[in-house]
Amino acid sequence: MNDLTPFGRAALLAFAALLLAVPWIASGYVLSVSIICLYLAYMGQAWNLMLGFAGLLSIGHALFVGLGAYTSGYLFTKLGVPPAVGVVAAVAVAMAMGSIIGYLGFRFAIGGVYFALLTIAFSEFVRILLDHAKFLGGTEGMFLPVSQESRRGVDLVNLRGSTEMYYYVILALAAGAFLMCRALLNGRVGYYWRAIRDNPEAAEAVGVDIFRFRMYAVLLSSGMAGVAGVFYAFYYNNLFPEQVLGIERSIEVTLAPIVGGVGTLFGPIFGAFILTPMGELLTEAVEGFKQSGLIAKNVKTDGVKLMFWGLAVALIVLLKPKGLWPWVCERLRLVKPPGQRG
Amino acid sequence: MTRKSVNTPRIRRRTFIAGAAAVAAAVPLRYAHSQGQKLKIGVLFPRSGIQAQIGIDCMRGVESAPEVLKAKGYADFEILAGDTETNPAIARAQAERLIEQGAHVITGCFDSGQTLAAAQVCEQKGIPFSVSIAAAPALTEQGYKTVFRNFPTGPMIVTDSLNLQKELFQVGGKTPQTMVMLHTNDTYGTNTKDAFVRLFPTFNMPYKTLETIAYDPAARDLSAEVRKAKATNAELCMVISRVNDAIMLTQEMVKQRWVPMGIVSAGPGWYESVYMTTLKKISDDIVSTVPWHDPNKPLSKALDVALKKRYPDRELNTNHTYAFEGILIAVDAHKRAGSTEAGKLIEAFRKTDIKDNVVTGPGVRFNEKGQNPDVKMSAIQNRNGKNLVVLPQNAAVTKAIWPMRAWTARG
Repeated sequence: MNDLTPFGRAALLAFAALLLAVPWIASGYVLSVSIICLYLAYMGQAWNLMLGFAGLLSIGHALFVGLGAYTSGYLFTKLGVPPAVGVVAAVAVAMAMGSIIGYLGFRFAIGGVYFALLTIAFSEFVRILLDHAKFLGGTEGMFLPVSQESRRGVDLVNLRGSTEMYYYVILALAAGAFLMCRALLNGRVGYYWRAIRDNPEAAEAVGVDIFRFRMYAVLLSSGMAGVAGVFYAFYYNNLFPEQVLGIERSIEVTLAPIVGGVGTLFGPIFGAFILTPMGELLTEAVEGFKQSGLIAKNVKTDGVKLMFWGLAVALIVLLKPKGLWPWVCERLRLVKPPGQRG
Repeated sequence: MTRKSVNTPRIRRRTFIAGAAAVAAAVPLRYAHSQGQKLKIGVLFPRSGIQAQIGIDCMRGVESAPEVLKAKGYADFEILAGDTETNPAIARAQAERLIEQGAHVITGCFDSGQTLAAAQVCEQKGIPFSVSIAAAPALTEQGYKTVFRNFPTGPMIVTDSLNLQKELFQVGGKTPQTMVMLHTNDTYGTNTKDAFVRLFPTFNMPYKTLETIAYDPAARDLSAEVRKAKATNAELCMVISRVNDAIMLTQEMVKQRWVPMGIVSAGPGWYESVYMTTLKKISDDIVSTVPWHDPNKPLSKALDVALKKRYPDRELNTNHTYAFEGILIAVDAHKRAGSTEAGKLIEAFRKTDIKDNVVTGPGVRFNEKGQNPDVKMSAIQNRNGKNLVVLPQNAAVTKAIWPMRAWTARG
């Protein structure tokens, strides 16, 4: 907060107030879209921790989400373990997988795009494994029982309740992830990560244990994604390997940080709240134009949102490679110039 | 710092605030619920993403529905379309959007995961959900009160296929004693194979399974697999394939002069138009067991005409017919309910009893779980570039050619 200008502080408080008020003022549709935004913001933060802070590119983050989802889902459906307890196992499994990938990658000096390929390979391997894991439902899916009564009220232990409850849960997760990342980035580990990201050889030369701190980044990021998996499982109540661990799910989580700004704290949140609502508004606008006759009804507009997303990412990479958030900060003077910070 | 450079950001900041306020005012946070009597049907299919081609194909059936149903005397209705983007998260959000735009009924979604995500919204809002295509048994096992499915479940598909095979051998007058199965080694192929192999003993199939041969659907050469299958001397060849490998397998069978008693497919590939146009006469006589329509039903004929009017190059298929029937069930419930009120519509859905429908089976009704137990599979045979229904006999348009003719004896 000390780094923000008065206007920046006011904007942040207004944004926080708006987020808290969404279930009270918004329709079910806006609430559902807001949950998607917050989920992507949370996952963006987890992904950003690896690439933005520690310089490790992952294109297989859906793997950790999937492991968290299937672990908590299995414990709940087969053993009756509530997600409040199952989340510990989910995080442990996701982190164990993260440690395997990290160990292989860092011990054998697999860096850059090759590390990204390693994450994809593991993600696909686990997806195919889950396809054949009959005790987890295989391709026929795993279904979490949900009663009508449990859709009302608030049961945080069993993660059962109204859509509003899920909204506040993912809001708390996104806010928690933001605060945790902020604390980490401004602490010793954050400086080490950035040093490793910018010049690993130099960081190692001055005594930074790059293996250990890279492992920290992978473990934290995979653990966070595991928590997201628990939320995913209990919000959607059905898990199919292709739907949860598909490569498109992994790519999806990278978009918000890329648009918002890789390596920034608020970039993943900003990116998620720009991309998702813009895509939805575009879909709405196209449907509206069709209804009003501005676009002929027989004109095929399928996938216009995905085209918009592709175009947006391409333009941002070309024109604002550091993402939109640093640019917006500067234009709106949300953050004090470096010399005036406390 | 110059005056200009100090001012510029302030002006932009004000502009931003004004712009943000305008956008916020324009965003429709709450849609007004339509209370009109014209039925609004929210249609959800994956029209983008990996399943886009299938979703778009389903929409062809939906687009043909108004013309056919108006001719049948059903009241005018409105279609509100939503794209699930092959993503359960989006399916859920789109179901919310369509309901807030006034949809009285939701139909869709082709994929079980997306269908289940949308079903949860319908259940919460108390809106009837006419499931047109989705096979996961769990959909009607969750105790949902608003979900009605007119599509066979996974187990229904497998058991019906085996029953149709037995009937085919009986009608054809020749029963194979041995069988070899060729299946893709991907998830779909392996799981389908497993489901069949599990059920063979309980169904007391007349043939003995000599071997199951897995192959890579992306392989550029399947000669070894065909050679292996031929070496078993099996009378029946059962296949679980996609379209490209189906073409390659057939070409290889012709090359190796292997003519089994018959080839029966339990899935896609072997009946698709690209298979028939590529292989022409040698694509004939292959039998596929699929969820299909009954071509003898008057409504099937009407739908075929309406589809051809819009899409002359399209043959009526599973996607069109089941998507269409999702709409038929909704408008029929609306007609009987005499209202768009959700409670009355759900009650009307429960009492559905449609005889004049399109898909194979005696008609549409729902059991206490919301499943249509009467929906049946069909056996179709390729003949001169067309898919002709050969079984069940009451839906057949011709008698099956069984055993299949030699590759060289097809005119």
